[in-house]
Parts: sequence; structure tokens; C-alpha cells
Amino acid sequence: MKKLTLATITLLTMLIVAACGGSSDSDGEPLQVYTHNDSEEMDAMVEDIEENTGIEMDVLRLSSGEGWSRIEAEAPDVGADMQIGMLHGFGMKAEEAGYLLPHESEEWEDVPDQFKQEDGEWYGTSFWYNMIAVNEDIMEDKGLDVPESWEDLLDPQYEGEIVLPDPGTSGTAFLVTSTIMQLMGEEAGWEYFEDLDENVAQYTKSGTAPAQMVAQGEYAIGITWDQAVFDYIDQGYPIDSVLPEEGVGYSLDVAWIFENTEQPEKAKEVMDYLGTQDFMELSAEYRSMVTKPGITEDEGLEESFIDYDAQWDADNRDRIMEEWQDRFSN
Amino acid sequence: MSTKASTQTKTSKMISDFRNFWSEPWFAILTLVLAGAILLFIVVPVFAVLFKSFGIGSGEVTLEYYQNFFARSYYFESLVNSVSAAILSTLIVVFLSVCISLYVTRTTSFLSKFYRGAALLPLVAPPFIFSLSLIILFGRNGLFTQVMNSAFGWEFSIYGFSGVVIAQVLGYFPIGYMLVESTMRNMNPSLEHASSDLGAKQGRTLRKITLPLSQSGIVKAGLLVFVMALADFSNPLIIGGGEPFLASEAYLLVVGQQNLEQAAVLGVFLIVPSLLVFIFQTYFLKDTGLETISGESGASNVPLSPKVKAIVMTINTIFVSFIVLMFVMVVLGAFVRIIGIDNTFTLEHFTNRSGWDSLYISIVVSFLAAILAATIGMLQGYLFARKTIPGKKVLEFLTLFGLAVPGTVMGIGYVLIFNGPPFFLTGTVLLIVLNMTFRKIGVGLEASISKMHQIDTSMEEASSDLGAGPYRTFGKVVVPLLSPAFVAGFVYTFMTAMVSISSVIFLIAPGTNLAAVYILNLAEQARVGMASAMSFILILIVLSCMGLLKWIEKKTGVNI
Repeated sequence: MKKLTLATITLLTMLIVAACGGSSDSDGEPLQVYTHNDSEEMDAMVEDIEENTGIEMDVLRLSSGEGWSRIEAEAPDVGADMQIGMLHGFGMKAEEAGYLLPHESEEWEDVPDQFKQEDGEWYGTSFWYNMIAVNEDIMEDKGLDVPESWEDLLDPQYEGEIVLPDPGTSGTAFLVTSTIMQLMGEEAGWEYFEDLDENVAQYTKSGTAPAQMVAQGEYAIGITWDQAVFDYIDQGYPIDSVLPEEGVGYSLDVAWIFENTEQPEKAKEVMDYLGTQDFMELSAEYRSMVTKPGITEDEGLEESFIDYDAQWDADNRDRIMEEWQDRFSN
Repeated sequence: MSTKASTQTKTSKMISDFRNFWSEPWFAILTLVLAGAILLFIVVPVFAVLFKSFGIGSGEVTLEYYQNFFARSYYFESLVNSVSAAILSTLIVVFLSVCISLYVTRTTSFLSKFYRGAALLPLVAPPFIFSLSLIILFGRNGLFTQVMNSAFGWEFSIYGFSGVVIAQVLGYFPIGYMLVESTMRNMNPSLEHASSDLGAKQGRTLRKITLPLSQSGIVKAGLLVFVMALADFSNPLIIGGGEPFLASEAYLLVVGQQNLEQAAVLGVFLIVPSLLVFIFQTYFLKDTGLETISGESGASNVPLSPKVKAIVMTINTIFVSFIVLMFVMVVLGAFVRIIGIDNTFTLEHFTNRSGWDSLYISIVVSFLAAILAATIGMLQGYLFARKTIPGKKVLEFLTLFGLAVPGTVMGIGYVLIFNGPPFFLTGTVLLIVLNMTFRKIGVGLEASISKMHQIDTSMEEASSDLGAGPYRTFGKVVVPLLSPAFVAGFVYTFMTAMVSISSVIFLIAPGTNLAAVYILNLAEQARVGMASAMSFILILIVLSCMGLLKWIEKKTGVNI
């Protein structure tokens, strides 16, 4: 009997080892992908990509700040072949640092030049922008006024009711930080966040979390991004969206191929596919605006956008984040 | 003269030890390999963290990061929070463990089985799922909070220190409970009988006899829970509401800022208390000698008096129902759209491909780690119990130390060492397996050593008298005898590996994402439904693996 147990265990071990070996040598390794997209959205995208290109992918989701610090730490041996979904500013930083493999893709030709890097180092798939989510029920229960501007959020009536993501990990939050700095100038910007801090109940790690928390009725106001809010409105939650009257920042969501990839052909094929009508249409189910013309309408949103400078992001992020740590990790 | 003589005998003893050691070269080589592996995978990572905290390896030796630690109230606060939460959790866990153990070991009703089962339930779940359930129930818009709010106008928030403590109590309760229960069960009942025969009331017997006799078990349980609660990083992340705690801050410093030096400093503050507790437990916590009297004397423990029974039953029932409630919340959360808001039944949370992929990887990785840990534990146990090995004590200490190192520290250490030449193991399944293995080999080792001490050497002598060489004896006699220890090491490692998170979270890559890490990521996105669904499946898998083992145990007669 004891022999039997041992035999079984040995057999199982061999099986597992065989299974591990087996899965990896059929048609090469799956493509390794980093993303900052939400799990739900990314799952749908991966399924679609695998179906249409036949290329298998392994995905790791990391909030943008987290993903970027991982890439910086790993470079030049980045642990992924490509990135699908990342902040525009990080795309520019990665380009400057020489982490990216250029690829001129025909599928992307009709996408306006401003949404892609000229040598094909990164491509922008869609737009997203900051938005404030407000829980109507809580507003009513507590007799709070619906905020209309960034400035309104400083009102003491919102004390302990605002959820903001942490710009150290969340791209959504960094976009807010950067927007405020670009709107008000740095000095006044810092003052703004110091004051806002008085009202903030929690800093979350992910930029989508505030929308969900507000939908669930945990807090009254969440600073987040457009589609996160629309998702919950569509599902019938008692939340409303607010675009602050000073304007919001927007960011291009970009994709790129890492320079050190061992499977450039596959990565390029996926990149081509990202530029197709099919993928852009899928993308449009999860995003308010995609970069390929004729799929989404911009519904006059441009009026709400500030004249956002993504290059400013790329140039100043490290310094701003350091100061953020000094001020708010105290 | 005499000192010279004693040095001589010492040297000659050392020489004979070494001769002995090399007399069976294969075992000697094996020992060396094991020793090397223990150094590389347990000791070196810890030292790497220590060095990094002084800036070694990235520039000049500096105390800057320690100055930062004390200069910023934020970091210091994380130390205070972590330590006080751990102390509070420990006290509550110990108190509840004693209550439930008393009932379970001193009554025979069906309730005691139920209490026991429910009390052990948290073992099979990732430690942070209680945070999720607590938010569902007691968040600012939790189910319970809503009721309280509409009935009494109460408003409260579970986010923060109190939430972390409650989550820790629930998550680490089984560890403390198992130790306390086994001490109370194995206690010689005659002393209690004597006490009550002499007229002491039950309360007095409890205070004067039962508790003092189980003292060492209780202290051990407390220390273990303290170390685990101190190292807890996932609960502060989910329910901490921004309050800083050591392990979670260290994690955020690494993933958010790649500030490995500052994270290492926090790691040092995590490891020092753990190390002290570990040394205290290993060298100073001697058994009182009383509980070594065998409990299997046939007599049963004194039944509880109605009054004591009523008190512990009340406490137990409240606590156990609470645990069950937590699990019910996870199950409910998995099957409705968003619990408490939109309670329509749905299976959509289960159609989550990355989740299933990560579950598959978790199973494979945990299985491999469990096989490896159990095998190494068994070999090491045999070698340590039977062979003369120079430096044996040190090696044993280091192996067991692997159990006490906070996961966050181990994870950061692995990142520091294996992220570059000469290893380049980051992102590989192998590194995750090795990490899980070497953090847990202590359990298999302890089981094997104690098993070896129970087995008389005569069996092995008989085998070698009959002409079998040392290796054949090992294979034919020792291995079968040690199979229960092997299974114990396997089960423990598998279960803990399936739900472990604090260390491996630093080591995952695309394609090697683990279920527990994935669930934590979902929780960070506040996707309660998906997180509950994945937790539910994870719990089911671990439970059915346990069931399978029980079945094998029955079929083969190997005692687990």
C-alpha cells in the first residue's frame, strides 16, 4: 500500500512535469502582455485577439504607475513582449528610453498622426478622460450639493466622502494631478491637493475602484475616469457623472512592442490587429472614443477637455511623484 | 594542560565527525546540496534585504533610509499600527481559541464537531477574503450598516485599524486554535479530576490547573499568530482605508516606486520582531514538563460545568456563526451581480478566463512546491536525526527560520537576488515554486524529525545486518516509515501555497499569475463579485484536495 502511494506520487509528479513541458513547446510561448486595462475589458479583448489572430497571450494586469515602475526596473530585459493599454505619457518615456521596437503598420494608416508615434513605436487605440462619479442617493440623504467643478470639491461639506486613487500607482490619478497642475500652475496645484486631502476618505490603488465604491454606496464622490462611470450608470446604479467646469485632462491609451521581445513577428501581428476595424469596434464597447475615424462620435466633448500636454507628463512625472510622496506620505 | 587536552579531543572529535560524515558519500553530498539550497533560498534573501536597507549594492553604505523611516511620521506610524494590530489580534485569537478548545475537548456533543470544523475553515481561504466579506457587511453601505443606519441612525466605517484587526482575527484564528486545542486535548485529565474531587469549582480548576498546564501551548499559539498578523499585508491593503501598515507599505514602496531601499528598511522592522519571537520560542520556551505526561491514559477530561459551558457556548456560537457568515457572504457575493445593491442571480462572475488560468497555475505550482517541500523535509529529517552532520543545529535553525520570515521580506529578497546575474529567474514558474518550497520545508522537517525519534533504530540495523547498504536501507525501510511525515509536509505546503500571497506577489509575471494574487488585484479594483467568485472556487479546490487526501488516507491506511 505504501509503495502504491509513493508510486502514485511519483507518477503524478512526472505527469505534471510533462504537462508543463508540453504546453510550452507547441507553437512557441504565448505572447507575454502587460496591461493597465480593467480585468473585464482586457479579458474580452484577449479573447477577441486570440480568436482573430490565433496568437495566444498571457496577460498581467498592473495599475499604470505600478506597471511603469516594473518596466523601469526590468529594462532592458522587460518581462513582457508587448504592452496593450498604457498611459500616453509612459509611451513617450518608453520611447525616449529606447525600450520600444518600431513597427510600421498598414492597418493603422487611417488613424490620424497625432495618435501614433511617427516611427511606429507606439500606437494610440482610444481616449479616456477624468470624470467625477457622484452617488445620488447619498447626496440626497446627506443633503450634499452636487459638485460642479474641481474647486467645489474643496468644500468642507464633502469631508470624508471623496475617494481619489493614489497617483503613485494609478494612471487615472496621475492624470488628475497633471490636469490640476496644468490648469492652476504647480504652486497653486499643490495647495489644491493639500486642501483636497482634508476631504479625501481613501486613496485607492486602482483608478477604477472609486467608481465602483461610489456605485456601491460606500462613498458619495469618486474621482475616476469616464468609462468606469458609464459602466455603472448603464447597469442602473444610482450614480451620476460630473465633468468639472474647469475642464478635464484626457489621455490616449497606447500600445507598444518591447524592444527585447523574442517574438517580434507575433507581437507585430497583434499590433496590426489592434488597428483593424474589428478590434476598434470592440474597443468602442469599452471606451467612449477610439482613434480610428468613423467609429465613435466625440459628442462635443472637446469643449470639456483642457489643452492637455502629454509631453509635460513625460517630462515631469518623476519630480511630481517625488513631491507627492513627500507631501502626502507624511 | 587540561585546556590543551580538551582542544585535542575537540579536534579529534571534529575529525572523526567529518570521517563519519564522508563515510556515506552520497548522503554527504546530498547534505551539502541541501545546505547550499537552504542558504541560497532562505538565508541569502534575508541578508540581501538587510544589506539593501543600508544602501549596499546600489551605492554607498548609508543610514539615510533609516533616518527617513524615523523622520517621516508616516513610516513610524506603520510600525506602530502593525505591532499594535498584531498584539490585539493575538490576544483575541488566544482568548477565542481557549474558549472553543475548552468546549471541543471537554464535551462530546455534535456541536463540538461543528465548532471545530467551522473554526478550521479559514485555513482554506486566502487570508484577505474576510476583508471582502467585512466590507460587504460593515462597509459604509454594508448590509448590516444599512440596517443599523435605518433603524438607529448609526453610521460607522469598517475601513481602518479596527477592520484590519477583525480580518486578522478571522484569518489567523485556525493557526492559534490548532495549537491550543492539541495541548488541551493531550493534557492529563487526572489532575483536573483531582482538583474537582477536592472540591474546587470549575472556574477555579480552570484557572489553577487547566490554563497553567496548557500555558506553553497557548504561548506558542500566541507567538505564531503574532508573527503572522505582523506580516499580514493583504488585509491592510483592502480594508486598511489608507492607514499605513509595515508589510503593505513595503509592498507599495516596491511596486509603486521601486524604492527597494526604503522597502528593505520596513522589511528589517518586520523581521526583527519575528526573529526575536522565533529565537524565544526555539530556545527559551521549554515545555513545563507536565504536559509531556501522555494524555492517552484512557480517562476523559472533566466535563464542563453548566455555568462554564453556558459562557463558552455563547462566545463560541457568536464567533463561529460570524466565521460562517463571512463564508456565506463570499458565496452570495459570487452569485449575485453586486451584493447589497443588485441582488439578481448571475453566473457572470465565473466567466473569467484569466481567473481560471491563474487557478490552473496556482494548482500546478502549489503541487510542485508541495512535492518538493515534502521530499526535502523527509530527506533532511532522516539525515538530521540519524547522521552526524557538522553544523547540524545551525542548519536546522535556518530551515525552521524559513517559516518565520515574513513573506514580504522573502519576496523582496528574492527580487533582489534572482532578478539579475547569475540567476535571471524572475518571471519563471521555477522561482515561484522554489519560494513556496523553501518557506515551508520546516514543517516537513519537523514532522520527519519527530517521526524518526519515535522509530527505533533497530529496524535500520536489522536491514543493514541482513546485508542492505545504507542507501537500500533508506529506500526500503526509512522512506516507508516516513511516509506520514511526507504526507503532512505535502498537505501543509499545498494548502498554504494555494492561498499564499505576500511573497509570491513580487514574483509573478504574465503567464505565471496566481489565483490568490489575481483575487487581490480584483479586490483592488473593487470588483467584489469577481473576487468572491474566484475565492469561492479556490476554497472549493482546496477543500476537495483535502477530501481527496482523506480518501487516500482511508484507502491506503497511511496516517495523515
